[in-house]
Amino acid sequence: MACNLGIMLLASAKMMAAVFGWPELWCILATAGLVGVYTCSGGLEAVVFTDVIQGVVMIIGCLLILTVGLYRVGGVSKLMDRLDEVSQQQANSTDASENSPSSNTTTAETRHQTQLILPVDTPTPFPWPGIYFGLALILSPAYWIGNQAIVQRSLGARSEFEAKAAYVWGAVLKNLIPIIVAVPGLIAVALLPDLKDGDMAIPRLVGEVLPTGARGIFVAAFLAALMSSVDSYLNSAATIVSNDFYKRFISRCVTESSLLMVGRITTIALVLWAIAFALYLRTMDEGSGLYAIFQTLMAFFQGPAFAILLVGIFWRRATGNAAFAALFCGIATSVSLFAMNQPALCKAMGFQPLFKISEPFLYFSVWSFVVTIAVLIPASLLTTAPTAEKTALVFGMRKMES
Amino acid sequence: MTPLHHMGEFVRTALLQIPLPAVRTLFVASLVVVLIWVIRMPSSRTTPETGAKRWDENLKIGACVALALQIVIYSWM
Repeated sequence: MACNLGIMLLASAKMMAAVFGWPELWCILATAGLVGVYTCSGGLEAVVFTDVIQGVVMIIGCLLILTVGLYRVGGVSKLMDRLDEVSQQQANSTDASENSPSSNTTTAETRHQTQLILPVDTPTPFPWPGIYFGLALILSPAYWIGNQAIVQRSLGARSEFEAKAAYVWGAVLKNLIPIIVAVPGLIAVALLPDLKDGDMAIPRLVGEVLPTGARGIFVAAFLAALMSSVDSYLNSAATIVSNDFYKRFISRCVTESSLLMVGRITTIALVLWAIAFALYLRTMDEGSGLYAIFQTLMAFFQGPAFAILLVGIFWRRATGNAAFAALFCGIATSVSLFAMNQPALCKAMGFQPLFKISEPFLYFSVWSFVVTIAVLIPASLLTTAPTAEKTALVFGMRKMES
Repeated sequence: MTPLHHMGEFVRTALLQIPLPAVRTLFVASLVVVLIWVIRMPSSRTTPETGAKRWDENLKIGACVALALQIVIYSWM
């Protein structure tokens, strides 16, 4: 979570630097300071209210670039034609450099850019088993059911029904996101064929496509989306540290004001860490985009955490000690798989990378999920069963009692 | 090559045998199953305790719209 905060800060800084020409360092510091101040002073209420406003600004801004971008390309059919042309140009340049015969690369490349269901041997990070097993069955439920930032908002709703309604109507709105986020990416491919750095696609598109006034609206939208995520992470992390760690293990009789102070100190510490991590990422140049780094970090933890959550909800025999051991094994699995895919390690050990697709974060989550469950079940059976008081909220037990 | 490489290659080869139309059916069928589950859900779990006074208080409508959009998207793209 703390590392992802740094990635979000860097993403917002790249956008501001590309559009306005401001130094990235100042952009990182300004964004971090702004979000840190209103998260510290307002808490969950401030986060929720700003999120509503930021959500509206974000959707309007993204629709603006989608509309203007499609107009500049000449419509959807022209966009598809242009993507074919770009793929053909890229294939020709690859053929020229590798001196190999041309193939059906154009059609395949365009298909990879516009199709949702891709074959197992696609070079992209999104083959169908990764999307189905990794994203749909593990990472997405892990985020929407288990992510602290989301759970905290649900618990902050006025009633259980309103929490349910937020999820359902949020899901309807979420259907807009692929259109307003992915299509501008395709427009960037079509209009900026010389683009080398994928992280610069949207910033450059904004700079070249939108008129001056509209640029401000889009940057506001982009920053709104990022700040919305950053403030949620900061707030939920502060809650975890103050309530689940400080109050539980350090001072059980802590007053509310002291607890608030612990939360604020945590927020400041996380902001400082995020700034440091963003600055560290600026110095790295390993070819991975910010999106891939973000998703890889999430995949290390989300699969194991979701496995424990799922087993804990449905199986009353699961134990805390087994969950801890399984979590450790699951995270070790995803980190080991990541390591076994690094070119430097593969070269040193004399074997090929374990995965044949680029950025296989979806597969990390699948295997770490499987390993976590494989460890959790036998380890639970080998440890002392939890008391009836602890299993009262387990789904199976509640159903039996009712 | 490590045992993990062999295991990965086995899984990869097995998954390559599944034709993409069957995969599309799997994606759409999964969404249809969830849609049926939502439709069959008792209204007491999808409306406020006092009953739905406005259309948006019936959560089945929102859930069905979201799932129907996904079904259309995965059927065509």
